[in-house]
Amino acid sequence: MDERLSKALDFSNYMVTLNNQKRLLTEKYQENLLHFYNGCQFTVTKELINFVKLLLDNHQDDVAVLTDDNGIPTIVDDIEKFYNEIFNVYFEASNYYHTEYMKLKNQRSIEKLVDYEQN
Amino acid sequence: MNKTKGAFLIARNNAQIDYVKQAVFLAKRIRKYLDIPTTILTDSVDYLKSTYDETVFDRIIPLEYNPQKNERVYYDGAMYQKQATFNNRSRCQVYDLTPYNETLLLDTDYIISNRLLKNCFNLKDDFLIYKDSTDLAQVRDEQEFKYISDTSVPFYWATCVFFRKTQINEIYFNLLQHIEEEWDHYRRVYQITSGLFRNDFAFSIAIHIMNGFTNGTFAKEMPGKMLYTTDKDVLEFLKDDQMMFLVEKRNYLGEYNALSTKGQTVHVMNKFSLNRIIDKELANE
Repeated sequence: MDERLSKALDFSNYMVTLNNQKRLLTEKYQENLLHFYNGCQFTVTKELINFVKLLLDNHQDDVAVLTDDNGIPTIVDDIEKFYNEIFNVYFEASNYYHTEYMKLKNQRSIEKLVDYEQN
Repeated sequence: MNKTKGAFLIARNNAQIDYVKQAVFLAKRIRKYLDIPTTILTDSVDYLKSTYDETVFDRIIPLEYNPQKNERVYYDGAMYQKQATFNNRSRCQVYDLTPYNETLLLDTDYIISNRLLKNCFNLKDDFLIYKDSTDLAQVRDEQEFKYISDTSVPFYWATCVFFRKTQINEIYFNLLQHIEEEWDHYRRVYQITSGLFRNDFAFSIAIHIMNGFTNGTFAKEMPGKMLYTTDKDVLEFLKDDQMMFLVEKRNYLGEYNALSTKGQTVHVMNKFSLNRIIDKELANE
């Protein structure tokens, strides 16, 4: 095989693997963004964080009704505590995502991308 | 541990696949990641007791050996296949058989690798099931896992289901048994061309009926998303929460791309490669 084509195919395999790993990391990020509160599931988004902060800033910091991922309304009886929890979930998940993404970006071989050095 | 919460596995071996082995392996992971007991329903109780460590199970429920005529092809990677019996006709009775008030019903090839499913027991909803799913390979048409046929209702995964013992769920599981008994009728009504009974289809049809023959809110989504690899992919390596797969390569039959997961629960449909990995794990214990 022509060396130029061979090198291009090697790179092509590397890119497919890199993109697959990035995609799986995004799936994991979405999973890590889940927050469970009072029997309900919330995906922590920038929108949710901002809305809860708005409630706090407008002194609605006692009790509020929020709807979860399944559309179920629930009473959040301590908005400030809830805000702190979702804030932590968001940054823990995002920091992990960033760290792992940077690790991926710096790997230059398929073996390292899939972290397969055990055998 | 609270005996009213637990996982429920069904293992019915066929001539090619040792599901009991998978169940023993999964029960250990359930204890490790979810910290709940596991009950097994099997028609191979003597084999289980003589070959594996039965203490991984909270309860062993015997099932009468009753081989079926449900045959299907099982792949081991894209290039190799075997035909074997698909002994899948016990799942609809789980409501009556489970010793738990809150049950996590799992396929033995659903490899638990994190604590996410533990949250099911704290959610308010009484019936949870996966609808959203992602193929790890992303090179195949995923339509068969979106709808049960091209002209029919949404697809739900019977692979992983959470339910509480409630009157409504009892109605649902009784309906499932009825659908199973009258499968040939229901598969025609729901435009399923294959005569093969599949639990995913029966669960999906029953959800559609419970919702008043439309989309509705009877079934809520499990936390996260179902990740799966088909039997045309190969599980190559597993250690703790890390797995490495060789997944089908687009347009190159028999060639694969490597892909790894860490801390992600995956439905591994290639049972042959899963059993090879379990053999290695058991040998290392």
